[in-house]
Amino acid sequence: MRKLLTIAAFVSALAGSVWAYQRGFREFRRLFPDSEDTGPPVDAGVKAEFYFARLRYPNVRATGMWAMRGSWTVDYPKADRQFLQGVRRLTRIDSNSMERIVDLVSDDIYNYPWVYVVEPGHWDLPESQAKKLREFIDRGGFLFTDDFHGTMEWELFTESLNKGFADRTIVDIEDSDPIFHVLYDLEHRMQVPGIVNYPFTKTYEYDGFEPKWRAVRDDKGRIVIGICHNMDQGDAWEWADSPNYPEKYASQAYRTAINYIIYAMTH
Amino acid sequence: MFEFLFKYPWPVYRKGTLVLANPWPLWMLGIGLAAAVGYALWLFLRKPLPRRRALALAGLEWAVLAVLLLFLWQPALSVATLKPQQNVVSVLVDTSASMGLDGRIGAAQRLLNSSLLPELRKRFPVRVYEAGRGLQLAGAAPAAATQPVSRLGEALEAAAAEASTLPIGAIVLLSDGADNAGGISAETMDTLRRSRIPIHAVGFGPERMRDDVEITDAQVPARALPDSRVSATVTLRQAGYGGRMARLTVKEGSKVLAARDVKLPGDGEGAREEISFPAGAAGAKALEISIALQSGEINGKNNALTRLLDVRDKRPRILYFEGEPRWEMKFIRRAAELDKNLHLVSILRTTQNKFYRQGIENPKELERGFPDTIDELFAYQALIIGNVEAGYFNAAQQSLIQEFVDRRGGGVLFLGGRAALSEGGWNHSPVAQMLPMTLPDRRGTFHREPATAELTSAGRDSLITRMEEDAGKNLSKWKALPYLADYQETGAAKPGALVLAELTAGGRGRFPLLATQPYGRGRVALFATGGSWRWQMAQDSKDMSHEMFWRQLLRWVAGDVNDRVTLSTARQVYSDETRVALRAEVRDRNYLPAADAVVEASVIGPNGSSAVVPLLPVKNEPGAYAAEWKAEAAGSYVAEVSARQGETDLGRDTLTFRREDGVAENFRTEQNRELLERLAQQTGGRYYEQGATSALAAEIELSDAGISVKEVREIWSAPVAFLLLAGLKGAAWLLRRRWGAV
Repeated sequence: MRKLLTIAAFVSALAGSVWAYQRGFREFRRLFPDSEDTGPPVDAGVKAEFYFARLRYPNVRATGMWAMRGSWTVDYPKADRQFLQGVRRLTRIDSNSMERIVDLVSDDIYNYPWVYVVEPGHWDLPESQAKKLREFIDRGGFLFTDDFHGTMEWELFTESLNKGFADRTIVDIEDSDPIFHVLYDLEHRMQVPGIVNYPFTKTYEYDGFEPKWRAVRDDKGRIVIGICHNMDQGDAWEWADSPNYPEKYASQAYRTAINYIIYAMTH
Repeated sequence: MFEFLFKYPWPVYRKGTLVLANPWPLWMLGIGLAAAVGYALWLFLRKPLPRRRALALAGLEWAVLAVLLLFLWQPALSVATLKPQQNVVSVLVDTSASMGLDGRIGAAQRLLNSSLLPELRKRFPVRVYEAGRGLQLAGAAPAAATQPVSRLGEALEAAAAEASTLPIGAIVLLSDGADNAGGISAETMDTLRRSRIPIHAVGFGPERMRDDVEITDAQVPARALPDSRVSATVTLRQAGYGGRMARLTVKEGSKVLAARDVKLPGDGEGAREEISFPAGAAGAKALEISIALQSGEINGKNNALTRLLDVRDKRPRILYFEGEPRWEMKFIRRAAELDKNLHLVSILRTTQNKFYRQGIENPKELERGFPDTIDELFAYQALIIGNVEAGYFNAAQQSLIQEFVDRRGGGVLFLGGRAALSEGGWNHSPVAQMLPMTLPDRRGTFHREPATAELTSAGRDSLITRMEEDAGKNLSKWKALPYLADYQETGAAKPGALVLAELTAGGRGRFPLLATQPYGRGRVALFATGGSWRWQMAQDSKDMSHEMFWRQLLRWVAGDVNDRVTLSTARQVYSDETRVALRAEVRDRNYLPAADAVVEASVIGPNGSSAVVPLLPVKNEPGAYAAEWKAEAAGSYVAEVSARQGETDLGRDTLTFRREDGVAENFRTEQNRELLERLAQQTGGRYYEQGATSALAAEIELSDAGISVKEVREIWSAPVAFLLLAGLKGAAWLLRRRWGAV
């Protein structure tokens, strides 16, 4: 009997937890619902100077949904398109309204000197792709990394990166660096949380307590890879239109990325 | 024969004046001629002859009477002749090195010793001189030609000047006419003409070049930026080696800077060859430009020339205005950053109201955007106008851009873009007139479509578009370039513009891609695309064609921009010529010609010698100052000119030039007959070929230059006069017999 009661209590606790989780998830989805796929913007075919290129890369040890879709698709495509609306509204950059998908297999990446990579803490670049990334950078391309957190993802990120950039040191970017001033002055920056942090009583994930603004520089000292570690600009772009995502984070994420783009187009 | 028929040699007729020796009044001759007309008509008109025949016979009869009447008045020639043994004849023998070629000096010596000097000495005291660097009295006919330079003008002037102490009757010049010390100036010719001493020239040496290759000239820019590519334009001529390949080389000391094979032109034809070479590090450089010696060449000393190149460690500042962020700007900046001698300052309009400045020297620089004052804008050497509409610039700024080129002498590069050129309304701007192409009067000219670039024939020779030294490889390199990301249609190139590259856009045809033209004191280029960044991104990272193109284009736009004071000389190397013409262009603070400046040049020569040379305003050329200065010693010279206007220092400029002796004599060594003939003709003398001087001594006699007398030489008694009379009478008799009027 005692054993039966124990089992019953365990089952009810488990059921309660699942119910509570499901209820929380449903609440979360109510607050941050999946975007409807409305298809490409009507002016996506109009040629422009600037294209938001998203890097498709091979995943490491992915499970579940992301194993199927690939981590590179996180926040895609709403984040990209919503961010591009901001670029078009806030700057004089002649931008196309829709993202382009590039990879490190075809040479198409060389047509897009600015490339965004989400969750590089999950990428697993083979040697050839890492070398191509290096060639892309050496020709003058710029890589903007975002949405990876904590020690473990950092190590996975650098493991792949170092296959192409072993001779380069990752450095912290000074607040005075032009990348934080090229359009907006961004000396005072905060950690931009992902929506998993709702209701944002904390803004970090795993052990990524502090946002890190890091970079790989070239021989001339120019930033060629902008590394935004322990923050999630992509979520901020994606949910900038949501009343449940704090405006202050969205604003900074827009400004940061716009600065990075203009920096990439001038350095 | 002439002398037999006419009693005197031709020079007597050439120099003499016709006179009538009989003092009878001329009116009597007139009456006699009129009476003869009446008599002749009376004689034949009464005869039963057709009128025409009667008139013809009367005419002949009258001619006979007229000649007879003229004989009564004793026609003669009045001619000045030198008094025997009272006039000196100066014989000048050119002993410059070129007379040593082909045995010319030996032929001159033989001519003098065998006939000319003995003939002359029969009539005149003779002084023999060597003419080379100067004029030197020689005891006998010189046997060697070793003088490093021939200054014929100076030598002749000196010989003529002796007329103040000596009765110089004539000058005889034995020369090949190769005056390599700047030629005989108009002033010298005028002086010789005024001296009234006839100069008789005897020419030596072949009149045409043979078995020789010569570099006749090499044009090298006086100044260049460090590490830039410089092009030398070399002109060649040859005889005997037409169609052969020969190596053209540029050397600095023993270091070969560039070399390539060129095809020699046909005999007597000139050829122009371009050869580019790296300027190298800063400093004054003496470059030897040479063509390889061919087997059997008779003169190997004219196969090389020296030129100077002043490589200045300057860093011209280029202001680049870009209307919106775009990739072209990034990659232009990156290319410029590789060039330590270019300083690119840029303003980028990031949003409607914000600008991002790069390359500025202080926070104040360009803080109000594009400059609107002369002081601010003219501090730059070049401008790049990117993808920005004309309307962004107010009228004053547009006018300033034009003045920047026209007056300041700056360079401007216009780029294509969706708000550039016709899209940006530049076709309606006053700036349009300085563009090398016309702009279509419509919109829709900018296309984000692929376009391929191809060099034109002008582009093949241009340093701007030189990615490979070899012309063929360069052409292939351009053909292999990735397509441009976009392009802009322009109109036709303007007269005087140089289209260096064209673009081909599928379906829309060909348009000029890159064109340049001078405008005012400056220069303008148009590059009708904003998509050359693909040349960088779509090629291997080690490929430097994009960087090379942009560095060369930017250096062209900014590299040769003058400041307020610019010094120049007629040439960089003065071979056997001492007169150096210094010229300074002086501009005031606003870059307007400074007519009231005090301009002075300080010249430092070999062995530390120095001189201060004031430059004086050039008439009718505001802002131009000039002086002529004699650089006696061979070697390198540095001239620094400074200009002041009141208390204001307008600036200074330096220039190097070089004097060398014994070089020019090796060039243009064939006989300059034209010069010798002109010299003789202008002074009343005569040109003689070296084998036809038998009449020279006699002709010299006919001169009024020294102590002379006027002689009247009757010509009525010349055989030709009697032949004329007999001929007329004989013709009349024959006609009368034929027409039955005897």
